[in-house]
Amino acid sequence: MDIGLLGQYVINGLMLGMMYALVAVGFTLFFGVLNVIQFSHGDVLMVGSFVGYTAILALAAIGIDNPIIELLGALLASVGVVALLGALIARYLVLPLRSSPPLNTLLITLMLGTVLRESVRLFFPDGSNPKRFPALLPDEAFTFGSFTLRVDSLMLLIAGLLLIVALHLVINRTRLGLAIRAVAQDEETAMTMGINFRLVVLVTFAIGSGVAAFAGVMNGLYYNEINFGNGLLLGVIGFAAAIIGGLGSIYGAILGGFLFAALQTIGSVALPFASAYKDVFAFAVVIVLMAWRPTGLIAERTSERV
Amino acid sequence: MTEGLKIENVYTAYDKADVLEGVSLAVRPGKITCLLGSNGVGKTTLIRSILGLTVPREGRITFNGQDITGLSTHKVIANGISCIPEGRKVFPKLTVEENLRLGAYQVKSDAVIRERIEEAYEIFPRLKERHVQLAGTMSGGEQAMLSIGRGLMSSPQLLLIDEPSLGLSPLFVKENFSIIERINERGVTIFLVEQNMRQTLAISDYGYVLSKGGVVAEGDAKALSENDEVHQAYFG
Repeated sequence: MDIGLLGQYVINGLMLGMMYALVAVGFTLFFGVLNVIQFSHGDVLMVGSFVGYTAILALAAIGIDNPIIELLGALLASVGVVALLGALIARYLVLPLRSSPPLNTLLITLMLGTVLRESVRLFFPDGSNPKRFPALLPDEAFTFGSFTLRVDSLMLLIAGLLLIVALHLVINRTRLGLAIRAVAQDEETAMTMGINFRLVVLVTFAIGSGVAAFAGVMNGLYYNEINFGNGLLLGVIGFAAAIIGGLGSIYGAILGGFLFAALQTIGSVALPFASAYKDVFAFAVVIVLMAWRPTGLIAERTSERV
Repeated sequence: MTEGLKIENVYTAYDKADVLEGVSLAVRPGKITCLLGSNGVGKTTLIRSILGLTVPREGRITFNGQDITGLSTHKVIANGISCIPEGRKVFPKLTVEENLRLGAYQVKSDAVIRERIEEAYEIFPRLKERHVQLAGTMSGGEQAMLSIGRGLMSSPQLLLIDEPSLGLSPLFVKENFSIIERINERGVTIFLVEQNMRQTLAISDYGYVLSKGGVVAEGDAKALSENDEVHQAYFG
């Protein structure tokens, strides 16, 4: 294969992997602090991309067309609103169900996902059709022979990487992060240390959801299109990524995200069948991986939570 | 007397079955008060009730005159209460130093936390040697040291200690008990919950005996250790 084309696929794969990793991190954080699967997480991401889109329209409506301000506005609005949404989900749907079987939480969040999806479809103006997400990033590109590196892709990758580094620092270097890790390991002992358990849970849900909103805006900027159904597949992929990495491990989730993107990319370019089968291929490999290592790739060795 | 911890007629239930049936006792400030009882009589449930982990369905718990019944655990801790839990409960995947830091979670000043960590290292030099080690990889004895050190990090007025002798070698139990005495000499009120009757009464000022969810005997530690009825209630 041509080396330039290979580079192209690698960049595409990294881009997808970054988005998956950001979604998977949320699943793993929520599971860490509360032992629950938040199945509406993908749809929360989709809400994030629509909030960002709305913010851009609103800024345009008051005459602001500077792309940097629009971008910052979209990100701030999206991350802020969705972090709040995440905290509300934790406060009113997940925490009250803590003493009931985990299946109930799973079912309720699954239904919430449908509610979010259908609400956007029905109540957002012309919500059932895809929306064109404005291209706010510079559209220049570097060309090296047959390899074209788009500046916007590069910026999105760097932004995603910075977000992951920031998350790592919050979890490992701050008082809040210490509290999150303590709660993940032993909730009751964490409480007797004087940690406000409910607050830590709410903040964790806000962080995980905010990160997903960031991925939602990233998704819009990368594909220049958003759709009310975007979150469904992204949610399932993010969940699968978190599981392959070992649910509860942040680094496992990130690894899982990139691994899944690699599988999809391989499935679409290196294998002898049509690229439409890339998801079939990737999920089939996930099934095999799960059979081989039921506790995930990272958890196998350290079984560390968060 | 409004100072200290006061437990009045507390009933606590798990799944509607009462474990504590009208327990009343007082922990006087500056003293070591112990609660003795064999397995399953509700000792840990009483600790959980004080900490707000299991809320009593009836009765009142006050600390320094303030009602703390049913407060969220972090608010109980904010009143100056700290706990060394049964089975030590160190955070296995956190380092020794991170465990200590968690003990001072409500302390805002980093300088104060630093100072207290150094104090803990003075009491237990072994912890200093292992400060970057994950707590879960340490021996039971070392984990016990860490659990005690962590309990002191908030500089509590009242320290609740739940079965410190559980699972430790006799030599270590002895050492632990002398450490508890030393902590008390520094002015920390101690409520010690134990099965080990002889050694516990040897360091306590006042004791209660719990049996089947209620207090069956109480008195000065010395009198209690010479009381035959207590032995009987305890083992019978």
